[in-house]
Amino acid sequence: MMPKGAMPTQPSQKRAKNFSEVALGFSKKQAVEEALRCPQPLKPEHSNRCPLGVDVFSFIRFIREGNLSAALEKIKEANPLPGVCGRICSAPCEKDLYENEHWSVAVRGLERYVADNVNQKIKKNSAAAFGENGGSGGRKVAVIGSGPAGLVAAHDLARLGYTVTIFEALHASGGVLRYGIPEFRLPKKVLDNEIMYIQSLGIKIETNVFIGQTITIDELFKSGFAAVYLATGSGVPVPLGIPGENLPGVFSMSEFLMRVNLAQPLKLGKKVAVIGSGGIGVDCARVALRLGCEVVVVFERSEEELTPQEQELKYAKEEGVKFEFFTKPLEILAGEGNRTRGVRCVKVDFADPHSTGEWKLVTVEGSEFVLDADTIVVSSGHKPNTFVSKFTDGLKVIDSGVFEIQENSFATSVPGVFAGGDAAIGAGPLIKAMASAKKAVLEIDQYLKTKKA
Amino acid sequence: MNKILSKQIIATNTKRVEIASEVIARRAKAGQFVMVMPDAKSEKIPLAIVDADSKRGTIILIFEEAGETTKKLGALSIGSEIFSILGPLGMPAQMPTVSVVLCVGYGIYISQMLSMCKAYRKTGCKVVGLIGAKTKNSLILEARMRMACNKLYVVTDDGTYERKGFVSAVLPEIIKKESVNLLCAAAPVSMLEEISKITKERELKTLIQLNPTMVDGIGLCGSCRVKVEGESILACVDGPQFDAHKVDFSELTARAQL
Repeated sequence: MMPKGAMPTQPSQKRAKNFSEVALGFSKKQAVEEALRCPQPLKPEHSNRCPLGVDVFSFIRFIREGNLSAALEKIKEANPLPGVCGRICSAPCEKDLYENEHWSVAVRGLERYVADNVNQKIKKNSAAAFGENGGSGGRKVAVIGSGPAGLVAAHDLARLGYTVTIFEALHASGGVLRYGIPEFRLPKKVLDNEIMYIQSLGIKIETNVFIGQTITIDELFKSGFAAVYLATGSGVPVPLGIPGENLPGVFSMSEFLMRVNLAQPLKLGKKVAVIGSGGIGVDCARVALRLGCEVVVVFERSEEELTPQEQELKYAKEEGVKFEFFTKPLEILAGEGNRTRGVRCVKVDFADPHSTGEWKLVTVEGSEFVLDADTIVVSSGHKPNTFVSKFTDGLKVIDSGVFEIQENSFATSVPGVFAGGDAAIGAGPLIKAMASAKKAVLEIDQYLKTKKA
Repeated sequence: MNKILSKQIIATNTKRVEIASEVIARRAKAGQFVMVMPDAKSEKIPLAIVDADSKRGTIILIFEEAGETTKKLGALSIGSEIFSILGPLGMPAQMPTVSVVLCVGYGIYISQMLSMCKAYRKTGCKVVGLIGAKTKNSLILEARMRMACNKLYVVTDDGTYERKGFVSAVLPEIIKKESVNLLCAAAPVSMLEEISKITKERELKTLIQLNPTMVDGIGLCGSCRVKVEGESILACVDGPQFDAHKVDFSELTARAQL
């Protein structure tokens, strides 16, 4: 594959000791060079590979022409969070940009280049400007949760002319983008700027409101909201289910990241073991490293199956995070004063025990060992946050843990209440959650148009 | 919003503040709590809603100035605003119908029992209170508890006020004398464990208020997990009230040292 342009980074020795951004962004020269590597699509159907509908080829053409504000405008037609997505999107567009061709372009990096190098104009009175094209008469819609899905939905609803209030339970907005993503991957300043832009469209964000507890959904309708969109995300940690998981010194990845991101006190030891997979585990490991700990990531499967975004695993290794692949945790061991002293692990490997051609992971006999660690971070997955259903009559949650939604629709079991993002489609990539919010907005608009006030 | 309307010192290092918060006051039920951040840079901590007045639109919080955060909170002057208060949180306390309920509170934890006593009183049952403190100067809410309960027992560890003795020591006698059908308690974990042992022997249903560490209070961090009959339950969204006889106290004790 023709490799895409690599972004300059902070030197690994230096960055392992600070929380500043790792990837530094393209220079003008690099960005233009990268943009020049992106010819226009051969077939029109290739022109839109972004789940969110960002017109990739057009905005890259503007970069080539040196017209960055036009490029930003183009991105923002579909995506109100270019600085965020330009950093942490899984960028499926890069893989699919040229079907059947071994060519890749750093679309994500270019998006970031645009977001970072154009002064995002905070529009004044733009809500009024938007109001004209919707004909929705400024009817009120409540968005629950200020994470990626909530922000996209609010933005798109405001564009259609609705008056939008976002309700957020935490004291700060941004959802997982704030409490879950480490500063060195997504600086809070970038997030703050994009939220400020969204607020400039006339969208109100009310923090410290737990819908269901502080205000019920019923009360929202009574106070004049015509529809409710639930974008409560999937921030509820799933336990690993091994003995010792509740010992002091064992954190869920959510608690660990939240304490660091929201500047809450955190008692760490010297040796940290991160148990689990995926990008979040790698994030936790790199955070712990920056806090001065020795870090080992324990992962039950192969390196190829550990699926952080490309680069992130490479960055983590360069910084000094150690990995134990094909290692299964069996038990977290208690030491003095019931504090964690390590993880009892066993090695696993692929085998075909019954010679049936079904290769699976089996434990390697006699390979048990104890991994010393005084702090454990469990990153074994997270599930949808549907707590609001506890306090809302008729709001159903299905077995898989998401809100019950009607087929081919985002309508929940309560009329006028829609759900989207991870809370409706399950935990997944950021861009999918954002794309689902876009679809739900069209549906909410349709619903409100047929149900005139 | 969140303006401090009044502030009093009610015992050694213990303060009571009345805060304007119409939305929380309107919905608060016995047994619920709020997450409080005195300023934008401080820790977020859970505090029980001691009392709520929906007409005035105010809530009462009581806290011991033990750590950095409670000291910051205590240092805020009347008229100033608290940076962040989220609530009401947690499930409202269960109110099983019984004829006699005994509400036990010790030290700062008495603040979690006042709303409970008031709520039980409304159900029409006889409410007996038992409150204790280390010493006379650290006893709180005695007058209010007297008003809320049909009968109140008071003990101090050192005998500087009323009867001398530990709450757990006088408990068996009171349970028998008052023909108690249900016990509710808020106290340090070690004392709750003792109480639970006493009531388990007597097959007396016991509901306790737990105070594990929390970061967000809305079910995301998992820090407040409590093992109940082998299953981890979050105190913030499913508690903070638990059936004492089902709680794994050894784990709770270990996690309380966090």
